[in-house]
Amino acid sequence: MLRIAIVGCGKVADQHAAAIHRVADCQIVALCDRELLMAKQLGERCHVSQCFSDVQEMLRSATPQVVHITTPPQSHFQLARQCLEFGSHVYIEKPFTVTAAEAEGLIQSAEERGLKVTAGHNYQFTLEMMEMRRLVREGFLGGPPAHVESYWSYDLGDISYVAPMVSNSGHWVRQLPGQLFHNLISHGLAKVAEFLDDEVTEVVATAHQSSQLRQLRAKEVLDELRVLIRDKNGTTAFFCFSTQIKGVNQLRIFGPSGSITADIITGTAVRTSSQAYKSYLTYFIPPLKNAKEYLRNAAFSVSNFVRRRLYQDFGMKELTERFYRSIEGEISVPIPYREIILTARLMDRIFDQVYPEGEQAQFGQGVSGVDSQNSLSLFVNK
Amino acid sequence: MTGASGFIGAKVVEILLEYGFCNLRCLVRPSSQLGRLKKATAPFDGKGNIEFLAGDLLSPEDCAKAAEGVSIIYHLAAGFDKSFAGAFMNSALTTRNLMEAFLQHGTPKRFVNVSSFAVYSNLSLERGAVLNETCALEDAPQKRWDAYGFGKLKQEELVKEYGERCHLRYVIVRPGAVFGPGKTQLNGRVGIDTFGFFMHLGGHNQLPLTFVDNCAEAIVLAGLTPGIDGEIFNIVDDELPTSRQFLRAYKKKAGVRSISLPYPITYLLCYLWERYASWSRNQLPPAFNRRRCSAEWKGNRYSNRKLRERLSWKPRVGMDDAMEAFLAQF
Repeated sequence: MLRIAIVGCGKVADQHAAAIHRVADCQIVALCDRELLMAKQLGERCHVSQCFSDVQEMLRSATPQVVHITTPPQSHFQLARQCLEFGSHVYIEKPFTVTAAEAEGLIQSAEERGLKVTAGHNYQFTLEMMEMRRLVREGFLGGPPAHVESYWSYDLGDISYVAPMVSNSGHWVRQLPGQLFHNLISHGLAKVAEFLDDEVTEVVATAHQSSQLRQLRAKEVLDELRVLIRDKNGTTAFFCFSTQIKGVNQLRIFGPSGSITADIITGTAVRTSSQAYKSYLTYFIPPLKNAKEYLRNAAFSVSNFVRRRLYQDFGMKELTERFYRSIEGEISVPIPYREIILTARLMDRIFDQVYPEGEQAQFGQGVSGVDSQNSLSLFVNK
Repeated sequence: MTGASGFIGAKVVEILLEYGFCNLRCLVRPSSQLGRLKKATAPFDGKGNIEFLAGDLLSPEDCAKAAEGVSIIYHLAAGFDKSFAGAFMNSALTTRNLMEAFLQHGTPKRFVNVSSFAVYSNLSLERGAVLNETCALEDAPQKRWDAYGFGKLKQEELVKEYGERCHLRYVIVRPGAVFGPGKTQLNGRVGIDTFGFFMHLGGHNQLPLTFVDNCAEAIVLAGLTPGIDGEIFNIVDDELPTSRQFLRAYKKKAGVRSISLPYPITYLLCYLWERYASWSRNQLPPAFNRRRCSAEWKGNRYSNRKLRERLSWKPRVGMDDAMEAFLAQF
């Protein structure tokens, strides 16, 4: 029975607690939050009696084997290091750390101690993403991916998250180097990192502020981001983060003989073959094949619903379970460390470009069409 | 005052000013829309000492600034977060911060905590029985899947704890369903708007309505009336309409379509939903369950007797006029 602790008992901790409860042979033994009342409220709902406001005290008293860190990102590095030094494995919510250097330091520290870490990229383990991975493994693309596209949207309609952040420059999100992007793009970016080589030769990023965010009186916060990436093998990726494109969270991966679109909103993994058809058949057969593909996905969803697998946060449960199994030595870590580090490095490079030091105000004033001079100045190759 | 820019808060400010209390500090979120509040205070511009303080109740420093030198706090700010942790943080933790600041930096005479009917459990209450201040509180808000109610329950627990431990003089008020111009959505006790039509679940139940002006005056009196420390008051109006009467009047103006479900059917559906949620391990969250069904649609009667007797309150707007004012916005 694995002994689990959660540090940081805000909203995300609720999801972690629910995911942990779904995994066999583990038990939440302790909760910790700088604000003891927060730890207690979660403890009351999850029937955990050991609640702490100090991490060291929690580690000493509860001796957890695994610690889930669900605090704001600025504290991830310090807290994770303390847990690793104590001898606990660590699951860190996204973004893994504030910088790539911190990410590399933590992973190195874990490996030196024979411990495991993982990042909260739980959307890598949704049913459709696993199906997509299976199709790639089985060779549907007909070779290595040539191009990957990841679209990640966030609806500002729910201002309960955005309003306190935009109105308060001291809010922890505003203190991150990439501000709003820093807290929201990890999931979408991790998807492209999976298919790119570690050696990324080119990153081109551009960002601006949407008119909707301007209405919320957020002067410096940007919320529209587009990124072009190329690795040393020539594989390219496009990443789009948007608050204005509604309900599009998907990954498209293109190979020599076909492409796959994994859509998180609809839970589908749709195959598109590159096969050519003679004459007018081009207009008839591919749409019918697409229809069949969507039908197959609908049947897959029905099957999962009947099997009680279509619940929210399936990805988090799957990632948690795989991480615990890796700790038990049954499998390797669910997210390769190179992928965690590459995601962090890409984030560093993107934020360097869209929030260059001292130029925040300039971009804050930028409208949805950044002028061409500014655009050009942003297209800096690294 | 906290929550001063809100639907009820702005009206509380208006009535306090009307009563002659012009020495007010209104704590508002930096992102708050101040239209209502400014409209309420406009006639008193330059006449009193009305201060708008932008701040966050999660910040002890902001709470200290808000509580500095004040003798009565009307705490109306509420958290409507859908998550339990968020609801707790925005209702209970904020209240704790405010009470601490009040005790340290204020000259505390009374802390008026505005709670909600959401704290009650009707599970063991007979249909048609009177729900009053002595009725049982919800003991399993998580089973009821009600994060807001959880936050309010924990808020009340903290207020009572501070009352006992720190001798904070407090009054808790629990408004029913507050309605009036400026709030267009129907209360969940009438039914739910889903799949493109309105499902009427309230049947002939009496609705615990309180018109915003009446509710605000009750809250004001809870802060000013002597000899009621530690008391709890439900706030509902007189001449409460039934859910069916209310919906009929609403439909005439708003033109919505509805279907009615009798309570036994509603209860059965909620029970089946709850069982399925449990069996499927929350593949469908237990958003509908017996506890919620009882609390919202069982059908109880409501009393404002304590409010009338102890606060000498009476509705300043009768139900007919209140309905007219509410419906005029459609």
